[in-house]
Amino acid sequence: MTLLMLRRICNRSSKKLKSINKMSDKQSAQKSAKIAAGAVVCVESEIRGDVTIGARTVVHPKARIIAEAGPIVIGEGNLIEEQALIINSYPEIITPDSLFEGVEPKTMTIGINNVFEVGCMSQALKIGDNNVIESKADLGRNMILTSGCIIGACCQVNTCEVIPENTVIFGSGCQRRVQTERPQPQTLQLDFLMKILPNYHHLKKTVKTSSAATPAKN
Amino acid sequence: MASLLQPDRVLYLVHGEKKIRSPLSTLYFCRYCSDLRSLECVSHEVDSHYCPSCLENMPSAEAKLKKNRCANCFDCPCCMHTLSTRATNIPAPLPDDPSKTAMKKAYYLACGFCRWTSRDVGMADKSVASGGWQEPENPHTQRINKLIEYYQQLAQREKLDRDRKKLARRRPYMPLAFSQHTIHVVEKYGLGTRLQRQRPGAPITSLAGLSLKEGEDQKEMKIEPAQALDEVEPLPEDCYTRPINLPEVTTLRQRLLQPDIQPAGASQLHPKHKHLLIKRSLRCRKCEHNLSKPEFNPTSIKFKIQLVAVSYIPEVRIMSIPNLRFQKECQVLLTLTNPVENITHVNLVGCEEGDPEDINSTAKVMVPTMELVLAGKDAAAEYDELAEPQDFQDDPDVVAFRKSNKIGFFIKVVPQREEDGDVTVSFKIRHDFRNLAAPIRPSEEGDAPTEAVWLTHHVELSLGPLVA
Repeated sequence: MTLLMLRRICNRSSKKLKSINKMSDKQSAQKSAKIAAGAVVCVESEIRGDVTIGARTVVHPKARIIAEAGPIVIGEGNLIEEQALIINSYPEIITPDSLFEGVEPKTMTIGINNVFEVGCMSQALKIGDNNVIESKADLGRNMILTSGCIIGACCQVNTCEVIPENTVIFGSGCQRRVQTERPQPQTLQLDFLMKILPNYHHLKKTVKTSSAATPAKN
Repeated sequence: MASLLQPDRVLYLVHGEKKIRSPLSTLYFCRYCSDLRSLECVSHEVDSHYCPSCLENMPSAEAKLKKNRCANCFDCPCCMHTLSTRATNIPAPLPDDPSKTAMKKAYYLACGFCRWTSRDVGMADKSVASGGWQEPENPHTQRINKLIEYYQQLAQREKLDRDRKKLARRRPYMPLAFSQHTIHVVEKYGLGTRLQRQRPGAPITSLAGLSLKEGEDQKEMKIEPAQALDEVEPLPEDCYTRPINLPEVTTLRQRLLQPDIQPAGASQLHPKHKHLLIKRSLRCRKCEHNLSKPEFNPTSIKFKIQLVAVSYIPEVRIMSIPNLRFQKECQVLLTLTNPVENITHVNLVGCEEGDPEDINSTAKVMVPTMELVLAGKDAAAEYDELAEPQDFQDDPDVVAFRKSNKIGFFIKVVPQREEDGDVTVSFKIRHDFRNLAAPIRPSEEGDAPTEAVWLTHHVELSLGPLVA
């Protein structure tokens, strides 16, 4: 019993050290990715900066989530496929007056049940729920997607507007139409991937919920 | 450098009703006339109809009945893509026991490109995968059919009158029975055969194909003329003040693809059956031989008869162009490829002054004067290691390289005009052609089986802009 107690004391102290380290880290910009339990994030994906990934989200290898100019918060049940690029970057035109200190870090929020297909690029600061961004689509920074929107393949949308619900953007001229039902959440696909991907890829470590749970174990 | 291989860089002149200049890859070669033919100097005939998505062949009579539309496949009314049938499971009450529900499959049409579904226009899901979908009825169908019948009769009566007038003049020479027969024969086949080309001045020839069946009595049909109305339906009161719901408004293209209904709102866009495509055969107008006849099977891309120009005429291609300067002599490297299996001799001749065919050239060209010899195309040459390379004494100033049936040679170009356009040169290429199609005359056995015919073609090359 004593050995066990000794081990527990060691664990608790090491956790305290880790939490102290984390506190010091918080003062400088948070550089680690917070991956919730239940999310499947492959090691080969590139996650840089302050990124929070919700539960049941699947991030394929070679996907890139880059938080340069601010944090990115990704909700639950999202599917981010290969070579997708979700980037919170500085706006392209930086005048000499507004240097980096002048630009506030804006958080990019992505809701639940979104699908980012292969090769798409999204810079939109606010994405709602149940959207589908098809392959090689290109979303500008000033777009706001509500819910149920489908940005078609190879469509470059770079306007400054809020896309109403259930809008489909398709075609080489980015035609639009409104569909009557929102796209279904890809639950089947997500379940399948969450079973299969760990068989072939190493996963990034998920953050355990909170250290307050461990004393309850005693 | 792939831009040098673009097909419209090298144009061959076709002598037909119109002088047409087009790349060799788009031309046909009639080996009975020994002449190049382009798409405009051949007659196009419909071979067969097929659906591009289900690749189902359809006989021409059935295609005409179904208005050239496929029975199974649909087009999205929104983006004109092909619709696919999707299935969902819906709980439906069992016919025996209304209280229990079982999962039944329900089918709906969906477009993969714009995400349109048949549920968007209110079409209910069908229980069968195919064959359950109906196009909406056109409210004017009856009136249109009546009008078509009436005008069919009118056209036929006019044709009979016209023929009777012609025969009345020629009566001493032709028996009456023969004239009646020709009328029926000519009408039964309608347009499309060589007997009935469009004759200018003929009345309503487009309806001549819709002929009455043999033996049908000519009923006198009367139609009511269309009535002009004094009162027109007034516009709704909020016509100017109601805000437009833009996603609901159909585009002109969507509207005009359904000319019978022309819906103004997207909620009335019903899917249409897919249009059929045709396979066509080409026929030389002078000698009436087939130049191109595809295979009947829609899944096959091969041809039964394929007399394309690239397999008979040596092809000139541009290989490299130096910097072209005004009034300075430059050397351009061209290649000449021999498509036939026997040795071909090629002579290049520059265009003379005042040549009526030479209208586009903007530079003077000096072509090699000696005869170029091209080796035959040997399909097994690359595998045959023991074959000795044939020795053609090539002048290294003229012939740059030689590779199986291809030869690279130089021409000298002096651009004459300092304008902004491309430098164009033209010359004539004269080669010998052995006609394998001509029948071997049995009387002359001592002669060579085929004699060479020398053909001349006018070639124009577009060499690109001048470099300052």
